[in-house]
Parts: sequence; structure tokens; C-alpha cells
Amino acid sequence: MTDAMLDTPIRVQRQTVSSRVALTVSVLFLIAMVSMPWWASPGKIRWAIEFSCYLAIAQMWNLLAGYAGLVSVGQQAFIGVSGYALFVLSLNFGVNPFLAAGLCLVVPAILSVPTYVLLHRLDGPYFAIGTWVVAEVFRLLTSNIDYLNNGAGLTLRVMAGYDLHQRNVGMISLSALLLLVTVGGSYWLLRSRHGLALTAMRDDPVSAASQGVNVKRLRFLIYVAAAVGSGFAGAVYYMAQLRITPFSGYDPNWATVCIFIVMVGGIGHIEGSIIGALVYFFADRFFSQYGATYLVVLGVLTLLIALYARGGIWGYFARVVDAPWFPIGRKLIRLKP
Amino acid sequence: MQWLDASIQGILLGGMYAQYALGMALMFGVMRIVNISHGDLVILLALIGISISSAFHIAPLALIFILVPIAALMGWALQRVILNRVVGEDPLPSLIATFGLSIALQNLMLQIWSADTRSLPGGGLAAASFNIGGIYLGVLPILVLATAICLTGGLDFVIRFTRFGRALRAAAADTAAAAVTGVNARSVYAMATAIAVGILGIAAVFQAMRVTVAPADGPAQLIYAFEAVIIGGMGSIWGAFAGSMVLGVSQAIGFRIDPGWGILLGHIVFLIVLATRPQGLMTRK
Amino acid sequence: MSENEPILSTHGLIAGYGDFQALFSVDFEIAAGEIVALIGANGAGKSTFLSAIMGLLPVQRDMVRLDGEPAGGTPAHTMVRKGIAIVLEGRRLFTGMTVEDNLRVAIDNGRAVDAGSKEPAWTLERLYELFPILGEKRRTQVENLSGGQQQMVAIGRALLCQPRVLLCDEISLGLAPRVIREIYQVMPSIADAGTALVLVEQDVRLAQSASRRLYCMLEGRITLTGKSGDIHRDDIARAYFGTKHAVA
Repeated sequence: MTDAMLDTPIRVQRQTVSSRVALTVSVLFLIAMVSMPWWASPGKIRWAIEFSCYLAIAQMWNLLAGYAGLVSVGQQAFIGVSGYALFVLSLNFGVNPFLAAGLCLVVPAILSVPTYVLLHRLDGPYFAIGTWVVAEVFRLLTSNIDYLNNGAGLTLRVMAGYDLHQRNVGMISLSALLLLVTVGGSYWLLRSRHGLALTAMRDDPVSAASQGVNVKRLRFLIYVAAAVGSGFAGAVYYMAQLRITPFSGYDPNWATVCIFIVMVGGIGHIEGSIIGALVYFFADRFFSQYGATYLVVLGVLTLLIALYARGGIWGYFARVVDAPWFPIGRKLIRLKP
Repeated sequence: MQWLDASIQGILLGGMYAQYALGMALMFGVMRIVNISHGDLVILLALIGISISSAFHIAPLALIFILVPIAALMGWALQRVILNRVVGEDPLPSLIATFGLSIALQNLMLQIWSADTRSLPGGGLAAASFNIGGIYLGVLPILVLATAICLTGGLDFVIRFTRFGRALRAAAADTAAAAVTGVNARSVYAMATAIAVGILGIAAVFQAMRVTVAPADGPAQLIYAFEAVIIGGMGSIWGAFAGSMVLGVSQAIGFRIDPGWGILLGHIVFLIVLATRPQGLMTRK
Repeated sequence: MSENEPILSTHGLIAGYGDFQALFSVDFEIAAGEIVALIGANGAGKSTFLSAIMGLLPVQRDMVRLDGEPAGGTPAHTMVRKGIAIVLEGRRLFTGMTVEDNLRVAIDNGRAVDAGSKEPAWTLERLYELFPILGEKRRTQVENLSGGQQQMVAIGRALLCQPRVLLCDEISLGLAPRVIREIYQVMPSIADAGTALVLVEQDVRLAQSASRRLYCMLEGRITLTGKSGDIHRDDIARAYFGTKHAVA
């Protein structure tokens, strides 16, 4: 580089046209969502809440698998345990359920620590099954504890204290907050200096470590964050369901859902989670009536994507067009003197 | 006395788990692949066996000779069509691929066989037992354990002393070096998976005779196999056997304490082993 | 096949890794029983060249010829059956297995020598005569051997594939001078048995003294070739390091 080049002022550009559009759309979407109780039917509001939960959980899985390199098939452990914590706080301690949805997150946060300590020495696939075992342990323990009403589950009767409109406002607001925290939070994280470390870790953990990235600590923090994020989604979801049982709360199907969403949408990209969640959500609405056959197709699609199209839909799109919605790169623009 | 009885029943139960664990130890220890559909394959074979048995009135033990070739073929096809494409450094593709396969298989079985539980009529064998010093030992469980011991010994022998076993270990140690020594890794892997799933053909018959099977049972068997392999130490065939014994005994004792605690105690023992000795009970190095 | 026809040859060989091209139109040939050296600095493409011949890299069929027949891109395990063996850089032994097991893999999967042919086949006994220490240590796990002993196992493993052409990739790397001498001493006897030897080395003196002909590579191209005894050091230096006067 010549001295002349060094003296030239440079601007760092982080937003692109596509991302400005996406950001605007996102903000409008969130505003529209929060306003739904005033113009949408209860059925559609339920849709919005469920979609938010799928997207949130998937994005947490994306963070784990796509950046930290931790493949988990046991996030349902934290989904269920948060749901239960919410119900217990509301039913047994009289806490306002909408407040409890935030307070209950202490539980997944705390439980994720010994879980990670136990599992992190396991090799990739064994780590995955280990997370499943932990989820099963949570489920079995819950089924065996009288305080949690064993296998019969709990019902969120306190919600009867609010009318339908109030419940919808509360839940949709929580859903919007959920999206802000999980999807928005991921984006914020990836844009920060931690994001660079994460992307480096995704591409090559050994090189990243040699560059000073504390890979172990970062992985641990991501695991805890993902547990809390999944837990938040679980709390919102089961609040909307009004009922939780060990069977539903710790359902391994949650793992199926987030793996499908992230793989089909595109792993390692926030855009991928969104696309995948949309695909899954609408496929579920239209095709789940076909029962087992629909799930066979889901499984086969996941298999095919893993074999032939590991980048998913967004991966394919990104190769053709450079128009990110959530850009995390930095472009150097030389300003004319 | 009650605990001795529980321990013995646990060992017999371990014989069943060993038959699941062997195939998994082979596939992961050698190829570093975990096949998430491992448990579903057992259930699939069991359901196929049950259907064949009721259609053609074949005795359960004779059924083994029909199921094993079917199972071996399944394993070979699985490796050739799916797993050979995902063998490599990155564990994610094989995990996701076999996860998708697992979901597809479970629901396919649900479509074909419905959720009803089924089993193989064991005739006198399932009920027969003999009494040693006040403890009842079922003939079937003893047969299962004996089979497990033979399979473990046989597999260990094959891996250590045969041409195929050496080629497999070589390919697992360094695929490129094996290739330049004349080993066709893809064929060897396909053969290994054929063996791993072939063993499941035997396990399927015993499982169906021992208890009822239903399409959703796969994941549970996968987890038992996995726990047995981890407790016993990854990469060791006799270790997988030992781990199965520990798991079986833990579950049996758990059941004696409280029926709801059977499986749970197995999980807890697994977690304790994980916390204290992550390399398992028996390690090669 | 006439006696003058090369047993192995490459013609305009091009190869690379993904978008990166490592070899640019390399011509090479070796006759049965000949010892040929390939020298060049790090990154010149020597290992890539051997890998390309061996089928470890995708290569067009006609660019590599064995006995005059196109053989480029044949998978490695098939090349072994056809009579090419390689001692890989870094030895690459099968860890967790004993010396004898490492060697047995070669015996099990190597080229089949006709029972009736007059070729003296390599056997464990012959190999243990060549490298007695291996006989002593045959039940030892290979990770517990010294560097020199490991190199002997690697060579032995390649020999037990009954090669007609043996490719040796920097077998002197990381070894003490005494051990290097010991290993290079056996090369002539291997060649006398009819096996062609390609010796890739960074050490020019060693390569020159051990071979009859040599090639020099730089940045994926052959920059010099000729009889080892006739080439002067200055020519080699130019071809090795590349200067304005490099011979085309």
C-alpha cells in the first residue's frame, strides 16, 4: 500500500440496501404483530404466537449448531422446564403469569450449567445424544415428582382471571419480545466483536483459538444463552397452550422441528431460520392433516438436505445473489478526497 | 436377596442391550458415525419379523435366519446410499441425515403397522424358567445373554484377527493411508454397517419375544445402546458389553426401588459415569 | 512391452486442489528397475505430483500412463492392485495397530503376484531381513516406535504391496543422518529386484547420490532433468530456486 492510499479516508459500511429493507420490514412486522389483538382473529393471533416460538427455538438451535458447533437434539429439556417453572410460579406462588414468563428463565439458565459441564467432553454425535438423555432425565424426573402433578401435568387456571383481549395483548407482546430477544439478540451478538469470534469459531475452531478466541468459554456462554432463549419460547408456547405435561413439554418433536427449520432454511444464517420457519409453519398448517405421511416427508427432506444441499434454501440463494437481510460483514468504502 | 435377584435380572437385561450396543460401538468406534436411526432399525426389523412370522407361521428362532440377511442388506444399503456420502471430519451431516431417516422410518412404520403394540409368540420359551436357589432365571433371558456373549466375542475376534477387521481398523485410523495400501474404504465401511445392522436382526427377534414392540420404541433403544457404549468406553467391543451389563443392572435395581425409577436410574448412572470417567470403564489406551 | 518403454509416465499432467492449480503440464517417465529422484523446495508440487499419480487427486485419464495404458484418476486402492505403491509423507501409519498388523494390511490388500512368475515376492521374512528391528518389534504398537523405525514400517508396508513402482515421499524427513543412511542403503537392492523407485527429496546431495536420473520441480513445473551424475550444482540451484536463468 502506498502512503497515498493510507491517507485516504475510509468509511465502514455495514448496511446494504437489502438489509435496510429487511430491517424496515422487521420493525413494521413487530408493530403489526403487537397490534393484532385489535384487528386480528384469535385464531390468527395463535398462529403468530406459535410462529414466533418456532422461529425463536430454531434460531437458538442455529446459534448452537451453526456457530458454536454444538449439535443438540435435547433443547426440549429447557423448553419443558421453563414451561413448568412458569406454571409453578403462577399457580403455586401467585406471580403474575406475564411476569413469570421472564422470571422462570432463571431455571433453564441454572440447569444449563451442570448440563454443559457434564456433556461438553463428548464428541459431536455423542454430545447430541447426550443432550437427548438429559431431556429424558428432566422428563422422567418431572413425571415422578408429586409437586409437579406427575404425569398428569399442570393447567394454567390463573389465566381465567384475564379476559380474552387482555390475554392476547399479553401473549402477543411476549411473543414480540421473544423475537426481539432471540432473533434480534442473535443479530446484535453477531454484529458485535463476539460475532467475529463466533464466525471464526464456526469456520475453524482451532484457528480461532490460535487467534485468541476463548473457544471453550464462548461455547459455554452460547449454550447457556440458547437454553434461556429456548426456555423463553417454551414459556410463551405453553402459556398459550394453557396446559403442560411431561409428555408434551419435553417432546422430542421439538428437536425435529428446529433441525428441519434450520437445515431447510439454511444453517449459520439468521435469514435461514426465518425462511425455514415460514416453510415449516405453512407446511404444518396445510399438511399435518396427513399425519404420519407428512412426517415421513419431513424426515426424508431433512435427510436429502443433509446429503445434497447442506446450505439449505438461503445457502443456495446467497451463492447466487449477495443481498443479505441481516448483514454481519463489514465493507470498506474508500471516500473520495 | 432381593437385590441379588435384581442384579441378576439386570445382567440378563444387559444381554439385550449388548446386542444393540455392539453395532453402535462398531460404527462409531470405527467409522465415527452415529446412526440416529439405529434403534428404529431394530424396531423395523422386529415388525417385519412379526409380520413374516404371522403370515408364514415361522418359529421365532428360525426367524433369525431370515431377518439377519435382510438386516445385513439394509445396513449395506444404508452405508452405500446414505452414510458413505457423509463420512468425514464434520459430524453434522451424518447426524442430521440419520436424524431425518429416523423420523421418516418411525412414521413410515406408524403408517404401515399402526401404533398397536405387537410381539412374537415365544411359545414355551418365553415362559420357561428354572429355579436356582430361590431365584427364577428365565430361559429366554439366558439365551439372550448367551447370544450376546457369543456375538461380542465373535465381533471382537473378527476385528482383531481377520483380514476384514484389519482393513476396517486401518480405514478408520487413516483413510488415505489405507487406500494407498489397497483398502477400498467404501466397501469396507459398507460391510461393517452390514454387520452392525445384521446383529440387529438377531436383537430384533429377541426384543419382540421379550416384550411388545411399537413404532415409537426406536429412540429408547438408541439411547440404551448409546449409554452402554459410553459407560463401557468408546472404541471397545467388550467395553460395550460391560457397559450394557452396568446399564441393565442399574435399571433393574431402579425398578425394584420404584417402577417409575427404572429407566431413570440407568440415565443417572450414565451421567455419573460421564461426570467422573468420561472415557468410560474400559479404554484401549 | 519393450525394455525401453517406461513402466510409468506422465504427459502434460495438470492437477490441483479446488481452485488452486498445483501442477502445470508435468512430463515424467521411469523405466522398470530405475531409480529416479524428484527434487524441489517446499511447495514445489512434489507431493501433489505423487498424489496425482496415485489416484488421490482427480486427474484426466491420459495424463498418467502405466505400461503405456492410460491410468489417470484410477482410485488409489486400484492403483495398488496395478502395482504402484507409495510411502506417504509423514509416514501415516495405522495408529492403534501393531507393526505386524500394519504390514498385514498390505499383504491382505496388495498386488497379487502370479504363483508361476519369477518375480521374487516380498514377504514378512524378507522384510524382517531388510529391517531386523521390525522383526523384534513386530507386536509393538506403531505409535511407540521411534521415527526411524516408523519410517521402516511405512516402507515395509509399501513393499508388501508388491509394487512395480515405489513412490517415496521425503522419507528422510525428521530422521537422524545415521538412520537416513541406513534406509537409503537398502534402496539399490529394492531396485535390483525390478522395482522402479521415485525418490522425492528436499536434500539435493542425497537425491543425486541415490538416483540415476533426476527431475527438479519449481512452482508446479519441471525445471531441470538429466542424469544425476552429469548435472552441476549451479544448474540445480537455478532450477531449484528459480532465477532469470532457469532452464526451460
